[in-house]
Amino acid sequence: MRADLIDIQVEDRGEEVEISLYGILGEYQLSAVREKLEMLVRGPGVFFFVNLQNARFTTDAYRALFLEILNLVKQQKATLILIFENDELRAYFERYKNIFEIYRSREEYRKSGLSKQVHLVGLHYEKRSISLSPGFAVSVALFLIGWAITLFVIVVGQGREITDKQAQITALESQKARYIREIDRLESAIGPMRKLGVVQDTTLLSSFGAIQDWVTYLEYLEKNRREK
Amino acid sequence: MLQMSPSTSYENLEAIARNLLEGLNVLLNSEQLKCSIFLDGPMIEALSNVAKPLMFGKIQNAISNGVLEFLGGGYYDPMLPLFPEDLQMMQLELHRDYLKKVLGAEPQGYFNSSLVWEPGMADILERSRFDYALVTEAAVQDALGRSTPVSGWFTLEDRGSLIRIVPVSETLSKAIAEDNLAWRSIAESYCRGGKSAIAFFDIPSEPTEIVDFFGRLVDFVETNEVQTRTVGFAVDQLETSGSISFLVSAGRNLGLPSTARTCRELLIRRPEINLHHKTFLNLYRRGRSVLSGKKWLEFCRALLPAMAPLFFRDLFNRSGMRSMMVRKRSNRLLITASQVLDNLTGFSGLRVDVCDYLLRGKKILFCENPESSYLLDCRLGGALRAWNYKGAKMNLVNSWRDDGEPSFAFLDCLLPNVDFTPVKLEQMLYDRKHLLADPYDYRILRSESGTEILLDEEQGFDSVERKALFRIKKVFTFQGDAAKFTVSYAIDNLAYVNTKGFFGTILELGLLSRGDVNKVLIDGNNVKWNMMEPLLYPDGQSLEIRDEKGGCVFRMAFDRPTSIFVGSIFGATSSAAPQAFQGIRVFPFWNAPFNMLDRKAFKISVSVTKR
Repeated sequence: MRADLIDIQVEDRGEEVEISLYGILGEYQLSAVREKLEMLVRGPGVFFFVNLQNARFTTDAYRALFLEILNLVKQQKATLILIFENDELRAYFERYKNIFEIYRSREEYRKSGLSKQVHLVGLHYEKRSISLSPGFAVSVALFLIGWAITLFVIVVGQGREITDKQAQITALESQKARYIREIDRLESAIGPMRKLGVVQDTTLLSSFGAIQDWVTYLEYLEKNRREK
Repeated sequence: MLQMSPSTSYENLEAIARNLLEGLNVLLNSEQLKCSIFLDGPMIEALSNVAKPLMFGKIQNAISNGVLEFLGGGYYDPMLPLFPEDLQMMQLELHRDYLKKVLGAEPQGYFNSSLVWEPGMADILERSRFDYALVTEAAVQDALGRSTPVSGWFTLEDRGSLIRIVPVSETLSKAIAEDNLAWRSIAESYCRGGKSAIAFFDIPSEPTEIVDFFGRLVDFVETNEVQTRTVGFAVDQLETSGSISFLVSAGRNLGLPSTARTCRELLIRRPEINLHHKTFLNLYRRGRSVLSGKKWLEFCRALLPAMAPLFFRDLFNRSGMRSMMVRKRSNRLLITASQVLDNLTGFSGLRVDVCDYLLRGKKILFCENPESSYLLDCRLGGALRAWNYKGAKMNLVNSWRDDGEPSFAFLDCLLPNVDFTPVKLEQMLYDRKHLLADPYDYRILRSESGTEILLDEEQGFDSVERKALFRIKKVFTFQGDAAKFTVSYAIDNLAYVNTKGFFGTILELGLLSRGDVNKVLIDGNNVKWNMMEPLLYPDGQSLEIRDEKGGCVFRMAFDRPTSIFVGSIFGATSSAAPQAFQGIRVFPFWNAPFNMLDRKAFKISVSVTKR
């Protein structure tokens, strides 16, 4: 029974599938490994991790097998990642290191997402970088420093002005409060006299108190004359 | 030398500790008795919880005055040769540290209540700073090629490590324990030339008997004017009696026959003990490969109790794995450790592991999700060898067979077309006749709905009057997040003859316990099964077994009307009568007349939930 030849472990987490192979894998086990790997990568999954940390290959045929598996996985629009960290396997896959994605662990592959981006951005800037002559570089530096100092002085000056304005506002507000208190005191002083009817506001009772324009004034005059 | 391994009485630990303190008080009040004592970690822990400072001071004084010597060993008193080296060291160091912390004692001698010994232990013990180790006299006699009494101590050198071997006289110990008047003449044969004989006694684990035991011991020493000393003192005072080149001891009190040479014999003789051991090793290997530092130690804390000798004894009455209670406890410990490992590794989804799980040279499938795990033996009819439900921390395939065969679930058989009564059917199922248990080839098929294990092979059927050949496709469909699965069968008759029979599948479950009744429901109706007589129910479509004590509900649903057999499994007791309840046997089956080149299909859905 071919299935009896190999130790294999499958850990299925939906999108992530880890297939681990164990033991010494030679020519005799090749067909069993091929059968199992082809069978397992055909199912659902986006990332297929093949953990080879505990496997040893005694024939070169497995490199070709993994290339076939890689093609199979790519047809399914998924990713194949080889997991191991020993030098022997690194040497075994040396020739195909640019074809396979090889990581030391699943965690390392997960973390590699950010570092990959950073690496790409680094390359981008590296390609666009420009070189300057020392004199020009010094004058640019002096200009930038002078510009920074000017900005600093302006900011400091504005800050001082703002402080003065705030002090004035505070003084005016306290003055306003004092006047309000004074008015309140005066109003309270004349309160009892107003109740007795002694104090009358004559400002609005004056003949022309409510008249603001000529038309109204003329109407007022005419009305007065008619009454008389 | 006194020893107490509380493994049989974990429930009464506090009561035992209180009485043990009383007993030690009796011993220390006698001025004539000096002895060595071994207590395992949980016992010392219980002692420190109940002891008053004055009593502990008294014990510490006795240790410093040489009246009492505490021996070291494994924290849970395991049989060390059965386990990986780093766990052996961990057990020894844990016990040593605890002894030092609680009693301020630094053990000089190593003791294991099972008295097992295998080559390679000298190195471990030397590294754990032990001077001498106690072993059975029979093992030393074997090593020396002698049958005469052996006393004193011997050196054993192994791979550059040296340890002093001190034989313990079982004959003398037995004579004194049984009040045999010939004890004095037996002792004399050991004590020639100024040597000492080491006698050892088990402190009873019944709390009410402990103080009385110490009283009798003191009385024996005082009445007979026996000169006693601690083992360490005796070893230091005596000259060596010689050297041993090879030592092996199968131990004592393990349920092994006298012909057994090593404690490993237990693993071969009893599949339940072997399963416990291999599950332990599987967890250890998985934990070792993915954990380190504090996480590894946390996992070990959960794993170490499963090394206790209780789970490696072929004994009755709560003393070994023949007791269903002990098996349930063993499963609880292992499943707890597995859950700790799941949590520490953030395990989710479904894992299928094809490996030689039982280390028997056969690859089998171990499937696991966070809710349950299954051990599927595709080389034996695609039957489940273990079925762990993590919710209730129990293995459902937990019954016991006196014939030494393992229990199974989903072990298929085709019974011949004869008229049988429930009792006759029970006998046929017990005898496991007409099984369809040839090896299957397997395929693992992953799909959106779950993972299928497809077992596909030809299976022969052989009865007195007929032979037949079937091609059976048996498919287990597991899910990544639930304790439920389906088993479906497609059976093709490959022969050009008609075959009549009853196709069914045997489940030997460690559910229910004696005294519980009315827990079996078929099609929602309580069938009021009395657990004594086997039950046969025709045309049921669902079966529910409620295990109130175990805390789980087991359900099976069938895709067509099914005959359901339910019967108890009884095993032998210590008095040899087959009365010990060892689980229940469930056998759903269908009348299946196979015409030539005919196909029949059946499907069973199974689930386990908490009560």
